[in-house]
Amino acid sequence: MLGSNRAEKVSAPQMTWSDEELVARSIGGDQESFNQLVLRWERPIYALAYRVIGREEDARDVCQETFLRAFRALNGFRGQAKFSSWLYRIALNLCRDWVRKERRTPVIQAPEELEVLEMAAVREPTPSVEDLVARRELTRVVERAMARLPEEQRTAIILKEYHELTFQEIADLVGCPLSTVKTRLYQGLSVLRRELAKSES
Amino acid sequence: MIETICTYSGRDDLLIAYLYDDIEPGDRAAFSAHLHGCGRCTRELAALRGVRSTLSSWAPPEPARALASQTPPAFEPVIRIEPPAARRTWHDVPGWAQVAAAVLVLGVSAGIANVEVRHDAAGWTLRTGWAQTDARSAASPAPATTPTTAAVSPAPWKADLAALEQDLRGELRSAPARAVPAAAPISDAELQRRVRAIIEESERRQERELALRVAEVVKDVNAQRQADLVKIDRSLGFIQSSTYGEQMKQRELVNYLLKVSQKQ
Repeated sequence: MLGSNRAEKVSAPQMTWSDEELVARSIGGDQESFNQLVLRWERPIYALAYRVIGREEDARDVCQETFLRAFRALNGFRGQAKFSSWLYRIALNLCRDWVRKERRTPVIQAPEELEVLEMAAVREPTPSVEDLVARRELTRVVERAMARLPEEQRTAIILKEYHELTFQEIADLVGCPLSTVKTRLYQGLSVLRRELAKSES
Repeated sequence: MIETICTYSGRDDLLIAYLYDDIEPGDRAAFSAHLHGCGRCTRELAALRGVRSTLSSWAPPEPARALASQTPPAFEPVIRIEPPAARRTWHDVPGWAQVAAAVLVLGVSAGIANVEVRHDAAGWTLRTGWAQTDARSAASPAPATTPTTAAVSPAPWKADLAALEQDLRGELRSAPARAVPAAAPISDAELQRRVRAIIEESERRQERELALRVAEVVKDVNAQRQADLVKIDRSLGFIQSSTYGEQMKQRELVNYLLKVSQKQ
């Protein structure tokens, strides 16, 4: 079932209302209920957007835009689908729009007299800079490999691997037959296997 | 190595379904039995599990705000839909301010009502319009001079002030029960606040990105420096050994020349 046992799901606050109940309350004018929905689904949506797009800043924009669109269109939400599915669909459409646009290279300007190592050490004391760099390198390897996949294969892998959707849920979400989802997953994972092996060698 | 071909029906789909354990129980049992006799499928399954393991280490970066702050790295919501700040109404003004305003209004009213303050030989005198009227109605030939304390205490506006204060306090006590005005979807102020927050987060994120990149550069430079030092060390050793060899040759040559010259 969508929304259960999510790897990316927020666990901190005690949620007593279901998504559908919070949606109903939001439509009734209770904006705090919508804030609860944002709190509950912001991280999964951000993670989805980041993995599809590969850029944190744009992923945050997509995440914000997803919730703003959902908020504006909430009155039109009739509960024909689960709220989470509706939200995923909005986010995936926004990601798709982003992918179609020309990608920009990040421009980072160095401030003068920046205490770089101190800043890196102080802001996150637990992992060392070396750990961060190693983690980042691994992330880059995976990101590079993922970037080589066609969009539909990448999306299928992300939804299955990180959001733990069933094959049927993915099929419903992206609008394709169940067997196509499995084929995309198989082909995508096979490409990743080759790409990751290349990186290791 | 020659890879055998597996002809199991629907093999790729079943392999994926088995890999993610999203498979019918009957299919699982059948494919599990197939795996015992198929090296190709077993190897591929193991390889795909390895891919999944690598993929699991890929986590999106935590939001920069949580990293930049000293708070626990819990995910804080980026968006918070809040009702726009309601217009300040009379009920939102603190009680003391309402009382002060009431006193001011009464003071102005008293001025309009011909309050007269005078200092003469008998001391300070305060007269209001009503007191003058009373004095006129008494038709007393003596000036209606009274000490300040005596003049203030019977003033009728003081009772009015107390009554007004009581009314205001009562109104304040009942204020929380009043309904909050209906909120518009998103106000300009709210949008500005969000944009400001986004810009701040973006700056923090860029700082962190820069820090990590420079750390990578520092690491690369250090690695390169170490490699260069090793090369320099090797070169110096070679030069030293070759110099020593040259010296020995020259010494042998000089000895030979000396010997030859002595013979002659």
